[in-house]
Amino acid sequence: MLKKYKPFLRASAMDVMAYKFNILVWVIVTLFEVACLVFLWFAVYQSSEGGIDASINGFTYKEMIAYVVLTTIFGFVTFNNDTLWIINNDIRKGTIGNYLIKPISYRGKFVASNIGALLIMTLIFGIPLYSIGLGVLIGIGFLPIVSVWEFIAHIGLFLVAGVLACLINDTIAYIFGILCFYTTSAWGLNSLKTTIIAFLSGTLLPLAFFPPIFRDIVGYMPFAGLSQNPVLILMMKYDYFESAKVILIALAWLVILELFSKLLFCHAIKKVTVQGG
Amino acid sequence: MIEVKSLTKVFKKPIRGKGVLGMIRTLFSRKYKEIRAVDDVSFDIKEGEIVGYIGSNGAGKSTTIKMMCGILTPTSGQVLIDGKEPYKKRRIVAKEIGVVFGQKTQLWWDIPLIESFKVLKEIYQVSDEDYKTRMEFLSTVLGIDEFLSQPVRTLSLGQRMRADLAASMLHNPKILFLDEPTIGMDVLVKEKIRLAIHALNAKYHTTVVLTTHDMADIEDLCSRIIMIEKGKIIYDGPLKAIKHRFGNIKTLTITVPANIDPLEVAPYSKDVDMSSKDDKVMLRFDADKVKLEDVVQYAFSSYHAIDMKITDISIEDVVKQILVQQEEAKHA
Repeated sequence: MLKKYKPFLRASAMDVMAYKFNILVWVIVTLFEVACLVFLWFAVYQSSEGGIDASINGFTYKEMIAYVVLTTIFGFVTFNNDTLWIINNDIRKGTIGNYLIKPISYRGKFVASNIGALLIMTLIFGIPLYSIGLGVLIGIGFLPIVSVWEFIAHIGLFLVAGVLACLINDTIAYIFGILCFYTTSAWGLNSLKTTIIAFLSGTLLPLAFFPPIFRDIVGYMPFAGLSQNPVLILMMKYDYFESAKVILIALAWLVILELFSKLLFCHAIKKVTVQGG
Repeated sequence: MIEVKSLTKVFKKPIRGKGVLGMIRTLFSRKYKEIRAVDDVSFDIKEGEIVGYIGSNGAGKSTTIKMMCGILTPTSGQVLIDGKEPYKKRRIVAKEIGVVFGQKTQLWWDIPLIESFKVLKEIYQVSDEDYKTRMEFLSTVLGIDEFLSQPVRTLSLGQRMRADLAASMLHNPKILFLDEPTIGMDVLVKEKIRLAIHALNAKYHTTVVLTTHDMADIEDLCSRIIMIEKGKIIYDGPLKAIKHRFGNIKTLTITVPANIDPLEVAPYSKDVDMSSKDDKVMLRFDADKVKLEDVVQYAFSSYHAIDMKITDISIEDVVKQILVQQEEAKHA
């Protein structure tokens, strides 16, 4: 059954390789960004009451830097989808018809593409980037390892949370993509999606920095599972119990969003008007 | 095989105001105009039939085809493909049908043609054995092996169409929907495509529904035609009957020298209908009643024609005539 999605998995893996130059540019830009954040947080912690060794909202300066570095790597390796733009393009050009007449699910095609991209990105960039990142952070004492076995177990949990994050991210992009059936403003939808995710997933700032009530609500939303939770699992800021809890929440959200996207698609597809006759 | 029951598709089109002011107004209040693209259409198609679905531009042909293959959902009415509604059981019906839209390709633009076929093989889960025999058959009837290794974007229109046709046949569908498969093709490619459709129909007993603007396609391929105009069926029956109804109408268009006034030339007979425009004279006649040879001779001797062109009746003409006859029947 799943074999027929293999070509899409393969194609997206090949696509990733076609954008080598983009990736090089990304690495350079990101190095500057991370450097800026390192200095910014240094200034913040230095001017705080306890100085550089203080803990703000449960994060020490060292942890904060580890968080910034790992979130950046995680985002780069995990989120590589153009789902929204592809759907918008399919609707505008009428190429969506090409998929509707084939015995495959439109959603399944995107899931396959995404897993393909995730696999190849992890193999080619993920493994070296995480190795270097974690190696340096552990080496300079920013990420203390108490027990090697605990660390390995957390890496395992992190991988599960990471795959879930990739799928949830794609489902959200797919839902926003389907909304392109109703409006022609794909650009607006994309900005909305990007802003919501950047703000609520903890990519900009750990959610611990938000007011308590807001933080608790956001904690139960799907966004925290996109970036903050996997990274905090990897950093061992979550114990086993808490890790399992956030993974289950993410899984529940994946199911809910997937069902919602299915309902939305069934409604939207009746609105299809293919251009040209 | 295919049952279409009072199929209707209504498109809602927003009425946009003119100019900037009108644009702002449409932001707040939106009025819609309803367009009945397909209006209460019913027909049955049996297994192995080749049916021409014809009509002028915008008559609703493509919309019907798109509902039959599950891209569009009907506003009301029903399509049954082997007893299943394609827009509800999309993935199940998709295995039974092959679709070619002459206007756009379904092949992957940047990869070599053979790779596109391999992708389709996996999507439709065609076995290695079937794939091999079908590829051999399709290569011979469509002559695609000469450009199998080229990316699709480098193919000519005729090559692309043959490739698209082969792609739609790879999973051996029971029904083939062809929406203008010969559009923009030269005579040789048209010929090849027609031969291929015949071969497929003969070998696999494939049911074919095709739309076209080319009368020759219809004469060569279809035993039955369904004619649609403004979303309604105006004729459904064998091609022979409609030919009989209109006869073998041909139009001889000649260019006359400036010193001849067409209106002063004695008419051939009441069987030849004469009309003129600028230096062109159009002689319309039934080639079964009047010999083409005689009309040509008459054109040269009476009009001193300096150029000539013979055209068969076009689909638009047939549609027009059917509508006129229906009007007359109503009044009578």
